[in-house]
Amino acid sequence: MDAFFASIEQTINPRLKNKPLIVGSRASKMHTVVCAASYQAKALGIHSGMSSREAFARCPNLEFVVADQAKYIWTSEQIFELLKGYELPLNYASIDEFQLDVSGVKNPVSLSKETKEQIYANFNITASIGIAKNWLLAKLASKLNKPDGLTLINEQNFEEILHKAPLDKLCGMGGKTGEVFMNQGLKTCWDLYLKLPGYFDLESRDGSMLREEPSLQPKSISHSYTLAKVEINPLVIKAWIRLLSEMVGMRLREQNLVSKTVHLWLSGPEIGSFGAQKTSQIATNDSYEVYLRCLKIMARIAFKRPRIRALGISVSCLNLKDSPSLFIEEKQREALVKAFDRVNKRFGEGSIYPAQVHFTHRQS
Amino acid sequence: MNQNSFNPKARWDRFEPEKQGFNPDALDERIEVLAYFKHAKIAPKSFTWNNKEYPIEKITYNWQERLGQALVNYFSVSSSGQMYQISFNNSTFRWQIDKLIE
Repeated sequence: MDAFFASIEQTINPRLKNKPLIVGSRASKMHTVVCAASYQAKALGIHSGMSSREAFARCPNLEFVVADQAKYIWTSEQIFELLKGYELPLNYASIDEFQLDVSGVKNPVSLSKETKEQIYANFNITASIGIAKNWLLAKLASKLNKPDGLTLINEQNFEEILHKAPLDKLCGMGGKTGEVFMNQGLKTCWDLYLKLPGYFDLESRDGSMLREEPSLQPKSISHSYTLAKVEINPLVIKAWIRLLSEMVGMRLREQNLVSKTVHLWLSGPEIGSFGAQKTSQIATNDSYEVYLRCLKIMARIAFKRPRIRALGISVSCLNLKDSPSLFIEEKQREALVKAFDRVNKRFGEGSIYPAQVHFTHRQS
Repeated sequence: MNQNSFNPKARWDRFEPEKQGFNPDALDERIEVLAYFKHAKIAPKSFTWNNKEYPIEKITYNWQERLGQALVNYFSVSSSGQMYQISFNNSTFRWQIDKLIE
């Protein structure tokens, strides 16, 4: 999808059409991050991931809307349902990106045109589609004529397109990897092809991966959050760790999984990016236990009161929960957690949460 | 769906109590609505808020969200040049005006 969140907001509110607009992750206009920028904002050099302060410095008249995930998720799921109608191997790559295996389709260009029309007719937003022999090239193709583009890379135009495509347009070449190649004098995708032709032809990048039997179990479950500003109050930091533990634990329990390994990631001015993990003999899906394990990891930080800007929790080494608890205390705790989950399932997530989580409101 | 695929339900903002704090834009007031229920779709035609009737000229977008067992249908609508967000909860059968869209 083209500037997905921003396009939906422009459809909802026609006043925002054709205006530079950013969608911020939280309501405080000057203390947030750009989640999405309209094409008019992109033309001014504003992009996702930029701080809103910087975006407003570039364009003081910028329109601002707070992100509302519900509408983006609903639209994304509806588009996924629409694509499912083609009965072709399909992958949900991200909230605004889908991969469809059209290798058996006679006229993929016509199918793509039809898809674009249907998306526009149903949601009043545009999509850019790339068609190629593998997803790496298809993704590159989709980026070349945004917005509302349709690009086919075939054997005839392969060299011509790669000659014109800057290296940083290629997936995986935007960051440090791209920098390494660019420092070696590689400027276009064709330069990379001449140096590493195999990079564009890996079997794992063709549509066959969409035809594989789905694995039924995730490898890890994570949640992270960037605070509005650096936080030094340990009460607030712990409250955020508790909240993320709750979110991770709830998702474990939803899938009847337990985890042995907990990974805590913290970022702040003194500690930089700190990450460490702990593997315990006993697997758990109890959010409080995940929280306690995180605190043990956090104790390894040399600073007594580090300032924290962002934090994340990931659980891995996952297995299905197949053995019942043996001890009375454990059984009581499990019953409490089950009741907690039932309340949230009935009345919506966040209807009930540990009191400690309330300190996430407190400012230092 | 392949579990290695993107999961749209694993959202970053779910369950975040920050959202339950004071929101100056939220109205969340009960309204009366005249609506068509046709072909499994809801089309609000007008709403009455504070004893004043607002005819709906255009529904610019609609979407849904599941909150626990309830399914909430949201509509962004225009009336006399002003945009509004209204919603219908299929569990409580309550229509409400959520906010003005500026």
